[in-house]
Amino acid sequence: MKVVIIGGGWSGLAAAITAKKAGADVEIYEKTDLVLGLGNIGGIMRNNGRYTAAEELIALGAGDLISMTDKATRHKNIDFPGHEHAWLYDVNSIEPMVKEYVENMGIKIFLKTRVIDVKKEEDNIVGIVLYDGSFVSGDVFIETTGSTGPMGNCLRYGNGCSMCILRCPAFGPRVSISSRAGVPDLQGEREEDIYGAFSGSCKLGKETLSPEIIKQLEKTGVVVLKVPPEDVNMDKLNQKVCQQYALKEFAENVVLLDTGHAKLMTSYYPLEKLRKIKGLEKAQYMDPYAGGKGNSIRYLSVAPRENNMKVAGLNNLFCAGEKSGLFVGHTEAICTGSLAGHNAVRWYLGMPLLILPRSIAIGDLLAYESEMTSTVEGKRKRYTFAGAGYFNRMKKLGLYSIEREEISSRVKKANLENIFAQRLI
Amino acid sequence: MNYEMIDCIDAGTPYCPCHLAETNECILCSQLQGKEFCDCKNWKGTCIYQELIWNNKESKAERETYKGVIVQKREIEKGLVEFVIQTNHELCKELCSPGSYAFLRTPETTEYFDVPISIVESDIENNRLLMIIDIEGIKTKKIYEKEEGDTLLVKGPFWNGVLGLKNVGACKNKNVLLVARGIGLAPMIPVLKKLYRQNNNISLIIDKGKYEDVFIKDFLHKYPCNVLEIETLYKGNVTQGFAEKLEAFIENNKIGHIHISGPDILILQILKNINGRTKTSCCNNAKMCCGQGVCGACTTRFEGHVVKRLCKLQTDPEYIFEGRRNI
Repeated sequence: MKVVIIGGGWSGLAAAITAKKAGADVEIYEKTDLVLGLGNIGGIMRNNGRYTAAEELIALGAGDLISMTDKATRHKNIDFPGHEHAWLYDVNSIEPMVKEYVENMGIKIFLKTRVIDVKKEEDNIVGIVLYDGSFVSGDVFIETTGSTGPMGNCLRYGNGCSMCILRCPAFGPRVSISSRAGVPDLQGEREEDIYGAFSGSCKLGKETLSPEIIKQLEKTGVVVLKVPPEDVNMDKLNQKVCQQYALKEFAENVVLLDTGHAKLMTSYYPLEKLRKIKGLEKAQYMDPYAGGKGNSIRYLSVAPRENNMKVAGLNNLFCAGEKSGLFVGHTEAICTGSLAGHNAVRWYLGMPLLILPRSIAIGDLLAYESEMTSTVEGKRKRYTFAGAGYFNRMKKLGLYSIEREEISSRVKKANLENIFAQRLI
Repeated sequence: MNYEMIDCIDAGTPYCPCHLAETNECILCSQLQGKEFCDCKNWKGTCIYQELIWNNKESKAERETYKGVIVQKREIEKGLVEFVIQTNHELCKELCSPGSYAFLRTPETTEYFDVPISIVESDIENNRLLMIIDIEGIKTKKIYEKEEGDTLLVKGPFWNGVLGLKNVGACKNKNVLLVARGIGLAPMIPVLKKLYRQNNNISLIIDKGKYEDVFIKDFLHKYPCNVLEIETLYKGNVTQGFAEKLEAFIENNKIGHIHISGPDILILQILKNINGRTKTSCCNNAKMCCGQGVCGACTTRFEGHVVKRLCKLQTDPEYIFEGRRNI
């Protein structure tokens, strides 16, 4: 039984792992020469409610990728404006580590292999078409192509291609598989009738910063620098994907985090203005290369889904990551991916599909996002354990916890302990 | 599995975006087909939408018309003339690849007299284009009136004279078969040259058609191949002798690619006989008038209200005939 995954980012890998654990043969098709996609510029784990979600994943039996990011962590339990106990993984070492782990599980990864279309028989997908016209068949398909770009979208809904890690001009643009299969995409909005949102952070070359900043970053993981009053731009906060970082503090300050490079917690920032700040006089962008001009645009192709991660309107297409909703972050991608991979195998076996209960944070986030995005206001919100409204909800509902025992006992209580580690075939 | 991979011959060139992009009729880009989002299944390596926006939402310049001087005119036989035209260096450089052609007319005539002529050979050392013209109608007769030393107007470069170009480009170290009939022998030469340079073992079936002799003999010395002269068509059908040869080539010689340079009636029947067993390419027989997607002379209709502009569209030969509608 073959599960075909389109997109090798965090959610695609997470789906591959749970599908493999459930007993499927798994193939991942990724358009670039790297796995992890935008995860290559991520780095922030376990901040705020993500801590709970990470521990839930471990208790559910899908802690593989969390243990990888834990292992690659440079700084544990750091606080920065609006965020507590964040762990920062090293973006420069994570990719090969994860790739090796996934391949060692027997999962096949096809890099530089862009998927451009599907073949359908009624409401079943029978296979995918690759960039060269060749055909790959499968039993169940999981789309984790994200919602970012490609360059035409970044231009139409943003400031143009900013040369991000996805490298569309080099490896070709993302194609929406669900849309090719006849299910129209939904879009997130940043303001009324303005589609998409800018990616929320950039990477600066750490070596281009002043020795004092480098020293402090490496010691504490975080540096906060004042923005000159004439350059404070509050409007910019509305444009961001990461509403958990769209706080006043992020407009008045430049927040840098040590993820191997220096993660700059703003969508984009004109280089000449950035260089006015003490210690950043020689700063250069590492991602996106044109971070002085713009950033990638996201949430332009979200598939309508059910809470079991199946794409509505098709029988055997599942989705995860940003493709599956207005989610932000790698933890969220791993959560949705893990469920999609597991349910792909259940679907093939004719078993009832798993829907995670609202008594755990992951289940609640998935259900809440579905409910909210069917409303007009909900399309302008983002859904993450780390903030942006949902974290408050977690706290209110008592879902937020950083106690491993408490979290795993909730998972146990729901009878879901290690469910994602179960072999079904 | 059959899946039509299309391309636009002009995408990513100095002539892209063109008037089609400007009017939401782009062959490749969904954003420039009036859609709201990218759906870039036929990516060519450049974002045409971005190119258009950066070009102030205007198309790039059209092809230019250059002055050409006839340095040689040789009547091969009655109604078949070889011209060597001295012209612009940049233009000659752009006309080296298979499928290259230019529009010719005399200076006294208007653009309606532009006639598309395949480039047999482009000599970039001496900036000369060799073309072989079948003197058949109004436009070619005007050109025929001109003599050595006279001026012709050459508009170019154009490249879509061969369909299935990506198959030609990918064909290396294989056994290949070329079939050419009549005036189709002329545009076959650049294909022969390319396949020869890509280290293929080439067999060439020549049907001289209405002509008395094989008019490309000189080139056969340049690019040696196994030549077989045979009649391919009789009263609109492939001859039995040719059909048998074709079958033998496919089955016995492990042919990896077949190029057909002749009338559509021949291409279609050969494609039927091949039935997907090898990669193919063929000459593009669509009527070219402006060559730039505007005039509509080359448009063909297919089932599902699909219109293909064959002056720009690159596709594999079978998709030129599959589901084609006559309206």
